[in-house]
This record gives sequence, structure tokens and C-alpha cells, in this order.
Amino acid sequence: MKNELSVMMFSWEFPPRVIGGISPHVFFLSKSLAKNGVKVHVVTCDFPGSPAHEVIDGVEVYRIDSYKNPAPDFPTWVYLMNLNMQKEAAAIVNKLGEKIDVFHAHDWLVATAGIGLKHVFRKPLLVTMHSTEIGRRDGLHTSTEKMIHETEAWLTYEAWKVICCSGYMVSHVRWAFGLPEDKLVMVPNGVNTHVYDGIEKEDLRSFRNKFALPEEKIVLYVGRLVYEKGIHVLINAVPKVLEKVNAKFIIVGSGYMKEQLSNIVRSMKLESKVLFMGFVEDETLLRLQKCADVSVVPSLFEPFGIVALEAMAAKSPVVVSDTGGLSEIVDHDSTGLKVYPNNPDSLAWGITKILLDENYRNYIRENAYRKVQEKYDWERIAEQTKRIYEAVLGEYSKSFWA
Amino acid sequence: MRVIIFSWEFPPRVVGHLAEYINALSTQLVKNNVETHVVTYHDFLTGTVEEASGVKTVRVANPVRTHIGVLTWILTLNQEVERAAANIYYQADKQVDLIDVYDWHFIPAAVTLKNALDIPFVYSVESLEDHRSPTANMPYNMSIKSIEWAGFYEAKKVSVKSEWMRDEIFRLYNVPKEKVTIVSPNTSSWIKGVLKLYNSVAGGLDSK
Repeated sequence: MKNELSVMMFSWEFPPRVIGGISPHVFFLSKSLAKNGVKVHVVTCDFPGSPAHEVIDGVEVYRIDSYKNPAPDFPTWVYLMNLNMQKEAAAIVNKLGEKIDVFHAHDWLVATAGIGLKHVFRKPLLVTMHSTEIGRRDGLHTSTEKMIHETEAWLTYEAWKVICCSGYMVSHVRWAFGLPEDKLVMVPNGVNTHVYDGIEKEDLRSFRNKFALPEEKIVLYVGRLVYEKGIHVLINAVPKVLEKVNAKFIIVGSGYMKEQLSNIVRSMKLESKVLFMGFVEDETLLRLQKCADVSVVPSLFEPFGIVALEAMAAKSPVVVSDTGGLSEIVDHDSTGLKVYPNNPDSLAWGITKILLDENYRNYIRENAYRKVQEKYDWERIAEQTKRIYEAVLGEYSKSFWA
Repeated sequence: MRVIIFSWEFPPRVVGHLAEYINALSTQLVKNNVETHVVTYHDFLTGTVEEASGVKTVRVANPVRTHIGVLTWILTLNQEVERAAANIYYQADKQVDLIDVYDWHFIPAAVTLKNALDIPFVYSVESLEDHRSPTANMPYNMSIKSIEWAGFYEAKKVSVKSEWMRDEIFRLYNVPKEKVTIVSPNTSSWIKGVLKLYNSVAGGLDSK
């Protein structure tokens, strides 16, 4: 009898340690894989108060001592952390009697641990590239950036398959590291629609009144206030929208452009129409997304665009700029509206179109929600990921390593 | 007996005295019927060769060419050392008696191989960070010291060339003296001492 498929995942973050998007990704992916009959061992960095080993919904989680060695800088810390991650993972695999079929690494932050263990145990290595140094920095300008880029290149070289979360990232990663086309595979990022279940039946009128007048439509932006997110494009679109619709613009998130943006709003005398919220608690955010008459994602650069998916899962109609992963998430005039990036007139047109027509709004809402359930559901993504593991193991079984 | 030696210098790459010592040691081991592999670094002479002495040498280069310091260079190079050692292990039907690792550079690889494949290792000390950079305690130096510490902690035996070094290791790292063997290269019993040490380590992690 064939034993169940067993995978060991490496991630530098896993809840409750949350730094960016990899943590929730690995959390939901591993849980959904476990539900799908895959034995998942996650090896990750420690977090104050969290146990060194626990089982979460069938997922074995190991937290390693990640600050064991003093480090002069962040990249050196990463490689030293990998030294300890590799050592502890090696002992775990050894103790399990080498019953791990596949290693799966998430980003360069766990590159050396994954590469070393691949060779030591002679098992296939998969990698999910969530982002790239060359994309994040728009080029390679320093030795650190070049070193990270070369580590990423090495990791994709050693990997049996490279998973990317959007077609855009597939082509970007292929270009960045000169990979053959058949090495890349697209599996979208998922969104958890169930987080909105609890507030589905809640009466949100009094909650809504705290943010907007009943006659004001709500336009919601969620994201960092930084240039590549295009928040300045939205601010420039505000007066254009207000010529046609009475609306309140709610801006959630913070960033280096905050001061500059609020000065612009003040100079336009629109303080009563634009509300800067800073960071908000999850429960407030979920309710705001439910209340929003339109959610706007005006990014200039976006590898995936999880914010748009979350809005769609909350049944809020979306207007996104036609770029990166956003172009794939939204079908124009069906599951949302796509507008020209960096163009306030185009953005204002999209927002106004949605706000002025309630039937159209509901049409978009329903299409979008259906697409989220069909394409971005974690269960489905886990099934796709499992099929990739099985395909790799099929190829591996014919190799001389098997 | 099958032994893998890790050293970051080996002829033709000569940095200090270590290259010539490893050359002499590996040659003597082969003469004493020990199958001896040396895994070392070279920037471009990569691959496996059998030296005239009968020593089998694997030279690996770092896949990451740009670095911000010795530490990032060493920590990435270690995966290639692991790959080379794992290849020897699998080609030899998983029979490798021990790894002899010289100084801190390839301690990370030795530690992983021990934990993954139960190959015990000897940590042979040529010099210590505390002597190379006296009084230096920047994060860079502390990091190297922490790798030396991991070597002492994980090694089955520690090998030194003098009583003075054994005392230094005790003073700096509290390594019990029973764990440390003195093998002086300047005596006629040198290679016998090495073989005796190897025999005491070979045979898995639990042997005496």
C-alpha cells in the first residue's frame, strides 16, 4: 500500500509570526493540503510564546531557534537562520525515517536550507517564488541586492518546479532567471471566503454610520501608502468622482506618502470626504470591506493583488488598474472594472460607473464572488498543488535518485 | 575505512599551512588503507579527480558570485560541500565512517550531515577566531565564534595539535578535555594517532 504523500515546507514566517504575505499563504495552503490527505510538516522561525512543536489541523509545525547566531546584518542573519533550520529539519527527517517525499521552499529566505536538504536526502525540491529582488527594487543596485538575486536564481535552478501565483509572475520569474518554460507552473494565491461568514447576517448600518453619511457611497482603499500602490492616483481622482457622485473615500493603511497625501487633500478642501484610517483591526477591516460600495486597487506594480481578491470575497465590487496580477484576477466589465494604470480620469470613470448603477454593482458583485469561489478557493489550490507534487514524484521515480 | 575531509584549502589552492598539512595527511591515510576523500573549494577547478596519491578530491565553487562578506560566502558554499559529501555517501552505498572537518568554514555542512545521515564528525582545530582576531567582538566575529561553538557541541571528537590548544578550547568554550585528542604532527606516531582517533569515532554515533 502506498503511504500518504508527505511534504516538508520551509517558510521564514508562519502564524503567529506574520511579516508579509507568505505567512497566511503557507498557513492556508498547508491546512488545505492536510485536508486533502497530504501529510505536511512546516519548519519555520520561532515566535515568543509559541511552542517549538505543535499540530494545527493536521499540520505538524516546527519552530526553530532562529536567533541562535549573532549576525552583522539582515542577509547574513537569513543564511545563519537557514543553518539552524537545515540542522533541525535534518534531524526531524532522520527521526521520521526519511518518510518525506518532497521539500517545498517559499522564497529565497529559506533557499539554502531547502537546497542542502534536497541533496543530503536526495528528494525533489519545489519552490514558490512569491516575489523577486529585481522586481521589488526595480533593478539590482547593490551587492546585497545582487547576492539575493543570485541566491534566488540558484534556488530556481535547484528546484524541480517553480510555482508562481500569477501568469504575470510566471513570465517575470522566467525572464529574471532564464528558466525553461516547462519548469514554471502557475497556481494562484487563495483567499479565505469564510472569514466573512460571521458578519454575513450582521446589521452593519450603525457601523457604517461611524464612517459615512447614509447618502454617501463608500469608496475603500486598503494598502500601504507607497508610490507603487498608486494611492496618489486615487487621491487625484477624488474631485473627479465627486463631480458626479456623493461619496466618502476611506483609506486604510499607512506608509511614507501619508503626510504628502493628506496635504493634497487639505489643499483641495476635501478633508470631509477623505478619511485616513491608518492601520485597523481585522474585524473593522472585514466590516469596512462588507460596507464598501466599491473597492479600489490603483497599483502601478502588483505581482498578485490579494487585496482585490479579498474585496471580491467580501462581495464588494472592485476597480483595479490593468497591471500585473490584477489584470488576471479581474475580467473587465464582468468581475470588476479595469482602468488605465496611473490615470486619474480613467480611475474616476471606473469608480463613477460602479457607484451610479446599483444593478451593475450587484451584477459585478455576484460574478466576482463566483470567480473567487471557483478559482481562488484554498481547497482547489491545494488540489492543484497536490497534483504538482504527484507529477514531480512520478518524474522522480524514474530518476537515478529514486 | 572511508573518510571525508573538509578543508577550505588544498593544493593548488594554498592560503596558509593547512593546504600542505591536508595534502600530507590524506596521502598518509591512503597509504594506511583508508579510502580518503577531500572536499574543498576552488573557484574554477571544480569536479572530482583522483590525485596521484590515490586521494579522491572534489572541488566545489560557490553558485552565488556576489557577496557582502566572508560569512555569506561561506554559508552558501556549505550547500555545495553538502552536495559533494552526499554524492560520495550515496555512491558508497551509504557507508561513510566519519567526516574530519578543519576549522569553522565547513562546520555547518558537517552538522547537517551528522543530523541527517548519522555520519559522525571530528572537528580538527587549526586556529580559533579568538586568536585570529583577539578582543574583537563585533557581530561578525561573534557569529564565527558561534559556528565554532556549534562545531565543538556537535562533534564526536575534537582534534588539536598541542596541549596549549586543548587548554585554550577548554578556557574559551568549556569543551571537556576528554572530548579533545592531541595529535601532534611532529612526532613519529602522528599517523598512528590519527588512525586511532578515527577508529574511536567510526562506527556510528553511539560507539565508544
